[in-house]
Amino acid sequence: MEVKVLFFGVLAEVTGTSFKHYREVKSLGDLMLRIQDDFPEFVHYNFRISLNNEIIDSDPLLKTGDEVALMPPFAGG
Amino acid sequence: MAAKYLIFGPITQSTVSDLIVKIEEKTDTGAHSIFLGQVRSDEIEGKKVKAIEYSAYEKMVEAEADKIKRTIFSEFREVSSIDIIHSTGFVKAGEISLIVIVSAHHRHQAIQACSNTVEMIKEKLPVWKNEIFEDNSHKWK
Repeated sequence: MEVKVLFFGVLAEVTGTSFKHYREVKSLGDLMLRIQDDFPEFVHYNFRISLNNEIIDSDPLLKTGDEVALMPPFAGG
Repeated sequence: MAAKYLIFGPITQSTVSDLIVKIEEKTDTGAHSIFLGQVRSDEIEGKKVKAIEYSAYEKMVEAEADKIKRTIFSEFREVSSIDIIHSTGFVKAGEISLIVIVSAHHRHQAIQACSNTVEMIKEKLPVWKNEIFEDNSHKWK
């Protein structure tokens, strides 16, 4: 299985990319552990997480095709 | 691109005038409140902002802007239309990066609904700003 992770704002700069695919992740919690391994500097940043365009604060199971976005505080307007 | 709500680059005079021409086609509204957000040349740590680079989660902008409009329509029953356009990409100091136009029967609802719409945009729209300084350094807002 494969999910797509999008990085926005300062996180895109920190990672050097706007997206990355992750395979074989069971849940959002697992995914976040893998992301933190890849990008340990994320510990310095506040961000919210969305799953398929909905902000989420639980730990759901993931499936192929899910899109997770890591979003620093919004600054529009 | 969330074509309804995002435009690449600054909001130009022609975008503003196209929206105003649409207003003239309505005859059931008496009040239109317009908000324009402009890039300011702020000075931060001794450096002046020359532009802002906006980025957005486009799919989520579409969903969130639709929700903002539904909320405003349900709170302000006289409001008949709400236009929201936000820039992405580079917008120079002095240029416009956001336009909101709210149309209603009467001015009180138009003005209050426009103000509430702008506040909701600031809180809920997944848009980010990277301030670009005159020396080409930058700082995320």
